[in-house]
Amino acid sequence: MSEVAITTRSRGVARLARKNPLLAWGALVAAALIVVALAAPLIAPHPQDAGSTMHPAATLQSPSRAHPFGTDMYGRDELSRVVYGARVSLSVAGLVLIIAVAIGVPLGIAAGYFGGVVDNIIMRVTDVFLAFPALLLSLALVSVLGPSVRNAVLAISVTWWPWYTRLARGQAASVRGRQFIESCRALGVPRFRMLWRHVLPNSVTPLIVQVSLDAGGVILTAAALSFLGLGAQDPTPEWGLMVSQGQDFFTTQWWLVTFPGIAILITAMAFNLMGDGLREVLDPKRVLTR
Amino acid sequence: MLGIRTRFLALAFAVLMLFVLSNCGSTSKLAQVQNETFTYAANVEIMPGGWDPSTDYSSELIAMAQMYEGLTRYNAVDKKVEPLLAESFDSSNGGKQWTFTLRSGVKFHTGRPLTALAAKAAIERTIKLGQGAAYIWDPVKSIDTPDAHTLVFHLKYAAPLDLIASAGYASWIFDTKAAGSGDLGKWFAAGRDAGTGPYTVDTWQPGQEVQVTLKAFPGYWGGWSGTRYQRVVFRYVPAATTTVQLLKAGDVNAEMQLTPQLWASFQNDPNFLTTSTPSYYNFFAMLNTQRAPLSDVRVRQAIAYGINYDGIVAVLKGNAVKSSGIVPAGLFGHFDDLPNYTYDPTKAEALLREAGYGPGGKNIKLVLTYEQGDNFEAMTSAVIKSSLAPLNIDVGVRPLQWSVLWAKTQASDLSQRQDIAIYGWYPDYPDPASWFVNLFETQNPPVYNATYYSNQTVDRMIGEAMKLTASDRPKAETQYRDIQVKLLQDVPAVPLVGMVYQRVLPRSVSGFQDDPAYPDVVFVYQLTPVK
Repeated sequence: MSEVAITTRSRGVARLARKNPLLAWGALVAAALIVVALAAPLIAPHPQDAGSTMHPAATLQSPSRAHPFGTDMYGRDELSRVVYGARVSLSVAGLVLIIAVAIGVPLGIAAGYFGGVVDNIIMRVTDVFLAFPALLLSLALVSVLGPSVRNAVLAISVTWWPWYTRLARGQAASVRGRQFIESCRALGVPRFRMLWRHVLPNSVTPLIVQVSLDAGGVILTAAALSFLGLGAQDPTPEWGLMVSQGQDFFTTQWWLVTFPGIAILITAMAFNLMGDGLREVLDPKRVLTR
Repeated sequence: MLGIRTRFLALAFAVLMLFVLSNCGSTSKLAQVQNETFTYAANVEIMPGGWDPSTDYSSELIAMAQMYEGLTRYNAVDKKVEPLLAESFDSSNGGKQWTFTLRSGVKFHTGRPLTALAAKAAIERTIKLGQGAAYIWDPVKSIDTPDAHTLVFHLKYAAPLDLIASAGYASWIFDTKAAGSGDLGKWFAAGRDAGTGPYTVDTWQPGQEVQVTLKAFPGYWGGWSGTRYQRVVFRYVPAATTTVQLLKAGDVNAEMQLTPQLWASFQNDPNFLTTSTPSYYNFFAMLNTQRAPLSDVRVRQAIAYGINYDGIVAVLKGNAVKSSGIVPAGLFGHFDDLPNYTYDPTKAEALLREAGYGPGGKNIKLVLTYEQGDNFEAMTSAVIKSSLAPLNIDVGVRPLQWSVLWAKTQASDLSQRQDIAIYGWYPDYPDPASWFVNLFETQNPPVYNATYYSNQTVDRMIGEAMKLTASDRPKAETQYRDIQVKLLQDVPAVPLVGMVYQRVLPRSVSGFQDDPAYPDVVFVYQLTPVK
């Protein structure tokens, strides 16, 4: 019985992968990145190099068998730092999206479901936040709060939640007039329970698509902040910071910018492919907002 | 009749020839222009403090030194003060009276001649404004002008006035009548100069890449015989990699600073000369002696033992040497055999345990600030953080803009102040006094003393050493040694490393020599363009 179920499911996955190879690749790479992040201490050849350890006698060594990605200006193993960088980038993306969804979605659902004054107040506030270019607002916030990973997460979240409010509001507004909601109301289902059990689950598909699409964008924004010196600080192995630190060495020690750069590229691309694929499968009608 | 193919070929050939010829023209023209123009790439703003020769106290020096001259100039190679606007100078009364005889035939860029009265007026304006490095004239009680070419300084106490007059800041002689009846400060602020130097300002475009251009002053007393640069251009190029490309393309003739790696990449290039010169520029970890746990001298000593100095030197790849004491090598008052700290984690741990901290003990959290964008300080700070981590000392490194960093060191709310500030210091004139007066003497409120160290004995010893410098040099040296021994015991600041200037010079420029007394200055007038 169970074997049949598994084969059917794996056949389903295989069919999906054939039908939508981009999604499959994106998901595969994203999954691999998550594995790398989780298993960083096992994969990295010199885990302590991702922390505050330095080897001043072994600085700027070109890629070799001992250090496949070379060493940086403090003699730290670049491969280990790139591997640990996956942890930083993925947890930043995860945290930002959790915060953005946690703030944005309830507000959006409330706005969409109640309409009227509530809708107006929530959406005008949202508009104010949307009026600033995302990176600019994050930059301003971080320069006030002081540069660190935590503050970068806060700053990016602040610029990210309004998109979820808009999305959730649209969904909630369209669900609101449906028959089953009317029936709930007639049956006297409490308001909160109705929002939680009926409105939210019926609005969730585009949110999932948006989250998977945004993961890449958040990672890029975090890298940009670190590149500008406003995100992670040494010795945090953040990819954007590593590229920034390596830029003066670009013409002489190419490996310092190349490997973290490739890591950013692969990660952002994997999440974008996955998001695009998911959209095609789950929500074929929706046109991308950005 | 020509076939269409031949005609096309002929056309192509003609276009090609035109292209080649036009290119020929432009290269020869370019070569000519470059032989007259000297372009300097700076990685900082050129005139951050404006154009006032009395008050400027920052990177303006690199441009000011082309437009202005002092009475004397220091020669770091011979370690001698040489005549400049003063043809000769002499001291009497045990260093308490100095006579400078001015060169004749010197004209200000305003057209007026240099006289003793004019020089006196310039120095007195600088003293009166009292900003920047004006304190260097502190020993001066009064200035006499017995004739048009003689300046006599009467001092409050014996001081090496010949050395002081050679300073890179606050020593410039300028025409105080340049603005007529108007406000001289405002006149300067518009981007004007009133010096006696070989070059005078042509254009000033703050915020642009080409920020300042200077042109030859035809009436310069040194004359313009021989081959010399007629124009000087200062470009603001923040990224070292861009500077390298400009150097290689021949668009830049000298640069302020490259990274050690980029500098090394020129070592085998036949078109460039790489030089490395010890500087008077050295770096300290200024420890906040007024706040726990750094108020405990054992913790400060532990930090001094806990920093991996060789690590800093290794990471900075030839751009730095380990300091010995406070005074850098090359200046009197420097000693190689002081009781310096070396990297000794075991000693550091023992001291920390005594104070109740260390591995397994109470954790220490410290905030370290350094100037944002300064690669040298960034790497130094990173090594400090790394080497103190195993001692259970967490260093939070904060890069801050200089104005913010400096304001933080002076914050009246003491909790806003940093625990460690990385400071770089070079003297205003080649003398050790600058370090002690600015960094370690009691200052209330603090100006540059970010250690907040206050020790009356040390204050007194610094004052004595300064007074002895002109009258009894050997005694002054002993005094400076004693002060440094005391400061190494008390460790208000940890001496880290001294900078080594690494310069890349195109072979098309001849005659350049780094002079640590004038950091990053290229005296363009002394150079010869080579074809």
